[in-house]
Amino acid sequence: MTAFYFERLVEIFPFFLKGLWMTSKIAFISLVTCTLLGFVLGIFRSGKNMMLKRIIGVYVAFVRGTPFVVQVFIIFFILPEWGLQLKAFPAALLAMAIMGSAFICEIVAGGISSIPKGQWEAAASSGLNLVQQLRWVILPQAMKVILPPLVGQFVLLIKDTSVVSVIGVMELTRVGWVTVVRIPEGLMVFSLVGALYFVISYPLILLSNYLEQKMAV
Amino acid sequence: MENIIEFKNVNKWFGKLHVLNEINLEIPKGEILVICGPSGSGKSTLIRCINRLEDIQKGEIIVNNIPVHDKSASLTRLRAEIGFVFQQFHLYPHMTVLQNIMLAPVQVKKMDKAKAEKIAMEKLDRVGLAEKSGAYPAQLSGGQQQRVAIARGLAMSPEIMLFDEPTSALDPEMIGEVLDVMVNLVSEGMTMCVVTHEMGFAKKVAHRVLFMDEGKIIETGTPSDFFDHPKTDRAASFISMILTH
Repeated sequence: MTAFYFERLVEIFPFFLKGLWMTSKIAFISLVTCTLLGFVLGIFRSGKNMMLKRIIGVYVAFVRGTPFVVQVFIIFFILPEWGLQLKAFPAALLAMAIMGSAFICEIVAGGISSIPKGQWEAAASSGLNLVQQLRWVILPQAMKVILPPLVGQFVLLIKDTSVVSVIGVMELTRVGWVTVVRIPEGLMVFSLVGALYFVISYPLILLSNYLEQKMAV
Repeated sequence: MENIIEFKNVNKWFGKLHVLNEINLEIPKGEILVICGPSGSGKSTLIRCINRLEDIQKGEIIVNNIPVHDKSASLTRLRAEIGFVFQQFHLYPHMTVLQNIMLAPVQVKKMDKAKAEKIAMEKLDRVGLAEKSGAYPAQLSGGQQQRVAIARGLAMSPEIMLFDEPTSALDPEMIGEVLDVMVNLVSEGMTMCVVTHEMGFAKKVAHRVLFMDEGKIIETGTPSDFFDHPKTDRAASFISMILTH
């Protein structure tokens, strides 16, 4: 019987590739938006504007303090009640952007605050404005601290895309759910799902380890 | 002589600590001013106010006719005219010596790279480290790092150079090389404010010595007057302390 199901699974393998493609698409778009947004938030979080700092702090605390699946539900099911109706795919992207940017914000802010105050003062004293201070003096140094955990966070974000299956986005995990109804070999189906996630995550895990070693020197 | 720096009734508090107390000070163009006093007397804070690394709560500081702590003051323009040398050097560790010196001329003055490099090499030569242009700060001794920091300050051709205890973080055998570089600068006619306890330096080049304690300017005078005939007991006991030290 198992052999029979295995053949069926091979037959519908292209369906899995479609799911993998969707997962990759969500992951890629989210990683880019989360990183951009996370850096902007992180820079302001470590800045001098107290008001902004607090607002971002509340945002981060809220996002980190609630389960991602609940956030996805809020965006997909609750926002429509306030007039913002999103299809599943954009809702998934929005949820990922909000969640991921909060985590990356903390990583970036931590990296920036690890740079001694004297570096800011030296840069400011020579006439560099705030943007130039960040661009040329602070961020290049902070990147060493930021990069390893950032890539680690990427791995987490890629895996978290599986959560958006709950609102019907046909990504890898959802494909697994749908398939297991027709091929009731749970272990086989979800081993395949897991293996496909692993294929995209593992290179990043290796990269993160490599960066950690390299930056530690 | 026209004043290039002016403090008018300047007051500053760190929380409850009255760190600058009614400071009135006029520094004419081209003056070499040495500021000394016990630790915590406010001397570092005083010069850090000149390029607005610190804010003040009362009074006014005018540098080059710019009210430094005015909201309208262009900080980057003001700072481009003032070189600042820190006790801990604060070189940029991810850049070579040359890149450290070129950064501000290229980014702030929009100088083209070739010209900035030429100037940087000149300044580096000035501090006797031309052969270290490709090194990273971590590869240099403390004295060399401080000389690079001085070259970096000079690269913007500032009218004013501020030194905040430039030799205090150095091993004794490296103090001399940094002081020599500073003595060399005197002939350029820049205005220099130097927070230091190096009496030899003060006696050799300073036009005026300013003694601070508890946020106040206690006395000022020529180096020989101040060191040999201090007017106040506090200055006298301070001088005897750095002498016996």
